[in-house]
This record gives sequence, C-alpha cells and structure tokens, in this order.
Amino acid sequence: MSQFLQTIVFGLATGSLIGVAALGLTLSYGVTGFINFAYGELLTVSAFSTWLGVTSGLPLVVAAAVAVLVVAGVALLLDHAFYQPLRGRGAMPLLITSIGLSFVLQNVLRMGFGADPRPFPVPLVRPWTIGSVFVPPVQAVVFATAVIAMAVLHVLLRRTMLGRRMRATAENDALARLSGVRTTATLRVTWVVSGLLAGLAGLMLGATETNVTATMGFVFLPVVFAAVILGGIGQPYGAMAGAMVVGIGMELGATYLSPDYTLAFAFAALVAALLFRPHGIFRGGATRGT
Amino acid sequence: MWGWLAFGSSLVTLALIYSLLAMGLDVQYGLAGLLDFGLVAFFAVGAFTSAIVTLPPLGSSGYEGNYTIGFGLPFPVGVVAAGVMGGLLALLVGATAVRLRGDYLAIATFALATIVQITLSNETWLTRGQFGISVIPQPLRTLVPSSNGYLHAYLVMTAVITGAGWAVARRLAKSPFGRALRAVREDEIATRSLGKQTSALKLKAFVIGGIYAGVAGSLWVHSIGGVHVNQFVAIITFQVWLAVLLGGAGNATGVVLGSFVLVALREGTRFLDLVPGASNLGRVNPTFLPSLRFVVIGMLLVVVVRVAPDGILPERRGRRADAGAGSRESVAAATEAPS
Repeated sequence: MSQFLQTIVFGLATGSLIGVAALGLTLSYGVTGFINFAYGELLTVSAFSTWLGVTSGLPLVVAAAVAVLVVAGVALLLDHAFYQPLRGRGAMPLLITSIGLSFVLQNVLRMGFGADPRPFPVPLVRPWTIGSVFVPPVQAVVFATAVIAMAVLHVLLRRTMLGRRMRATAENDALARLSGVRTTATLRVTWVVSGLLAGLAGLMLGATETNVTATMGFVFLPVVFAAVILGGIGQPYGAMAGAMVVGIGMELGATYLSPDYTLAFAFAALVAALLFRPHGIFRGGATRGT
Repeated sequence: MWGWLAFGSSLVTLALIYSLLAMGLDVQYGLAGLLDFGLVAFFAVGAFTSAIVTLPPLGSSGYEGNYTIGFGLPFPVGVVAAGVMGGLLALLVGATAVRLRGDYLAIATFALATIVQITLSNETWLTRGQFGISVIPQPLRTLVPSSNGYLHAYLVMTAVITGAGWAVARRLAKSPFGRALRAVREDEIATRSLGKQTSALKLKAFVIGGIYAGVAGSLWVHSIGGVHVNQFVAIITFQVWLAVLLGGAGNATGVVLGSFVLVALREGTRFLDLVPGASNLGRVNPTFLPSLRFVVIGMLLVVVVRVAPDGILPERRGRRADAGAGSRESVAAATEAPS
C-alpha cells in the first residue's frame, strides 16, 4: 500500500512537470495550428540558461527568472524569423521548419557546451516523510508550480480580453480578423505565453533530472505530445489531465511492470488514445479530414 | 589515390542506401501524403533482422564474438527477411495509424519509432543492446580478397538493388495504384466518394515504404559489418525527409538526387577539419564538428521548405491541382502566386 502511495506521489510530480510543458505546447498548437517540434529545445534552453546564470554568480531564483524570460524571447524570435513568414501555407511546411529548428538549436547548444551533462543547480534537501511516504521538496515545488501555472492560465484565457482574442484566433483565424482581432499580434502573445510555460517546464525538468544536456528537451518531447493528444489538442485543461494520466501511468508502469520501459508506457498510452479516443479524452479531432 | 577511390566508393554506397530510404518515404509521403516521422524504425528492424539471419549460429565454426542468436543463412535471405520484417512492422503500425489526420500520424509514428528504439535497446538477448553486434558477415567477402576491391563490389551490388527499387518506384508512380495514391493525397474524401478504399490504399503505401526501409537497413548493416541500437535515432528519419524534400517529393529520380546531395553535404563537413580555425575548435570540443553537421541539416530543412518546396526535380503533373490548405500543392501554389 505504501509503495502504491509512493508511486502516486512520484506520478503526480511527473504529471505536473509534463503538464506545465503540455500547457505551453497545446496553447501554441491550438492557436497556430501546427505542432512545434522545436518546443523541446525551449525547455533545454531554459535549463542551460539557469545553469549558465548560476555558474556566473547569479542567485538561483534570479537565474531561473532570467532563463524563463530568455525562453519567451527565443520563442518570439523563432516565430518572427521562421514561422510568421510561412503563415497561410498550411501546417506541413511549419511542421518541417520546426523540426529543422529543433536540430539547429539542439546542436548549437552542443557545439557551445559539449556533450557532457552539466549539473542543474538545485539545492539538495532531505525529503519530507508523511507516514511511510517520502515527498522530496523539489517534487512538492514542481506540483505547486503546476497548480499555480494552471490557475494563472485559466484566468488569462477566461477572464481577460487577451485570452478572448487568443481563443477567437484559435477557433477561427479569419473570422477573428474580420471581427477586429489583430491576429498577428495575438499570435505573438501566444508564443510568448507558450515560451514562458516552456521556460518554467525547463526549470522543472532540470530540477527533476538534476542535470542539463543538449538533448533533454527533445527526449522529453514525445511524452509531452502524449499528454497533449490525450487531452485533445488546444485544450489546456485536457492537457493537464492528460499529463496526470501519462505521469501516473509512467510511474505505475515503472514500479509494477518494468522500469526499462517507462517511456514506452507513455507512448503506448498515446497510441491507445489515438486508437480508441482519437478526439482526445475531452475533444479535438484526430481523424478529421485535412 | 586508391584510398580516395575507396572512400568515394563507400560514400556512393551510402548515398544509394539513403536513396532506398528516400524512395520508401517518397511512396509514403510523396505519393500518398502520409507524414511518416518514424521511418528509422523500419530501417532499424531491417538492419537487425538481416544481421541476425546471417550471423553464424552459436557453436558453429564461423562463430566469433558475443551474440546469442544467429541463423547462418546466406545474405539474399537476409535482404528478403529485412524487407519482410520492415513491411510487417509497417503493417502493424499502419493498421492502427494511417487513418489518423496528417499531424497526428506524424506524432504517432514518431512515438512508435521511439518505442521500437527503446525495445531494441532493452531486449539485449536479441540485439546485444548497448554492446551492439560487431562481426556481421559480409556477403561474398571471400570472393574479393582486397578490402578496397570489396568496397567497389559492394557498391555494384547496392547499385543493382537500388536501381531495381528505383524502377519499381517509377512504375508504381505511373500505375493506376500510384494515381489512386495521389488522389488520396489531394483529396481523400473525394477519392472515397469515387469508391476507392482510401485507408487500404494508404496502408499499402505505408507498407511499401517499410519494405524499402527494411531492405536499406540490410544493405547498410552488411556494408559496415556492425550494428548498434544508438545508430537509429530520429535525425536519420529527418535526413531522409531532407533528401525527399530537397530532391522533389513525388519524383523517384528527384529523391535519389536529393539523397546524393544530402550525403555529399553531410560528408563534406568532415573536411571542415582542414580549415585552420575549425580544427582548433574541434580539439577543444570534440562534439563541435559532428554537431555542426546537424546544424547544417536542420538549417537546410528550414531553407528548402521556405524557398524551394517542390525540390530540385519537382513531381511532374498534367494539370495543376487546386487542393485544400495544407497539402503540398497549396504550398506550391502559394509560392508561385504573384503577391
């Protein structure tokens, strides 16, 4: 029983990490209409920036805040230089472009910093013990961050004019423009918000894995895809729910089946979801015509 | 001199193997419009299948090294088995995935390729996992004693097989089946309304691509004589994508050309070592030059899609199609329309 509870605690933490990443990805997917394969690199950039900041003498909190802003800047820059010029040409060119950018970013980081892992500057703290269950403080912080990120995004999307514009653009780009929404500006803001979430997720990923490598985001990306698709594309609440399913599923699989196949469980869940619930747990439309 | 010739010979062999991969992807994407982001899985399965089929069995006279399973069958059996296994895996994946809308298929195949890689690296009884298999027999090795001569002989054999693949791909594209695939690509609902079973058509195209990639895996594994799970990473899939997009999707000759350009560019970065500054950087950071190679490949993907979406040798069409947003045709139309 205590092993089960322990697994659930780890699952919630893993799910929170996946969830914050999935929020950012599903937001940009919903509004821009294509899957940003370079999203994983945004997480990597965040972790690298934090490491760089701390090694050059900044306090961890300042370095982390700077890193999140850097990532938002990178997201905006990628949109301006590469995605914006391809608007109106459909999803395929954007998809391929984002893959190209993913490899460029990944390997530029490797050229700059080499292939050796760098330690993520997270303080070592003794885990709390609740009953017979260990709760590492890092995982508690990860969980709390996810809850806060979800709440802030909820308020942004549902209670602000900006959120309304984003939802209108996601629903119908042309109609939104006709109704006076400046869709290009809205898209820019979407990339910034998506970048902020990616930056946050990168910090959480670095803290969880305790080191930083050039491929960390790329390797993590399929898990985020799984959460996004399980939740139905463009659905923030769905993405968070999907992330929890994937996170807890991965930890349960690792504990009770085989730790070698932890990632495979996430993808098996993804494929199963595509087969039996192609519209996501909530909604979406995987088999809709092109 | 002979050393350079051998180096050139092995590069052409590599380009021909990439051509097979590219033609496989071209049947899937160029003809049927399927976004296969997991092509490397079929390549990997073909490579391991051919290795295991041809390795001498445990305890036999030819046995050397470290693996446990081998059938000791001749190379042609390995090639055929690799094609069959590549096709079967594609059937398994495709039976569930081809119905998915474009980008969902991309994610599903990407995830499935990762599952295949995880499986290959964990099932060490079959693949030797992180140790790899290093003594894979080379076909007809005893007939050609000199190692340089063997490289040339292998090139000839690869050229024959790839040439056959090219002829088949061209016939396929012109056949009624190829036309039906293009119809599915342009407008699946319209094609279905004409009585075509579009899911079955897409599944066939997907399996054909898997067979091509499986055969390519076999040729590759015997040309280098060793195999390791970490060789089958996602960047291979996207290099093949680059070859297809660069050469011209939907045109078998174009994608072969694209593969040669890809290999030339990729191997060309080896000579950056000769640039004085670069070799210093390479000493400080040994991953510098290999990483630079992938930066170039990534950047090329971005540039090709942006400036030459039809590739060097575009697909020939009788009549310009007026397709919906998102297809390659609308990409072409958008770039050619006066703005």
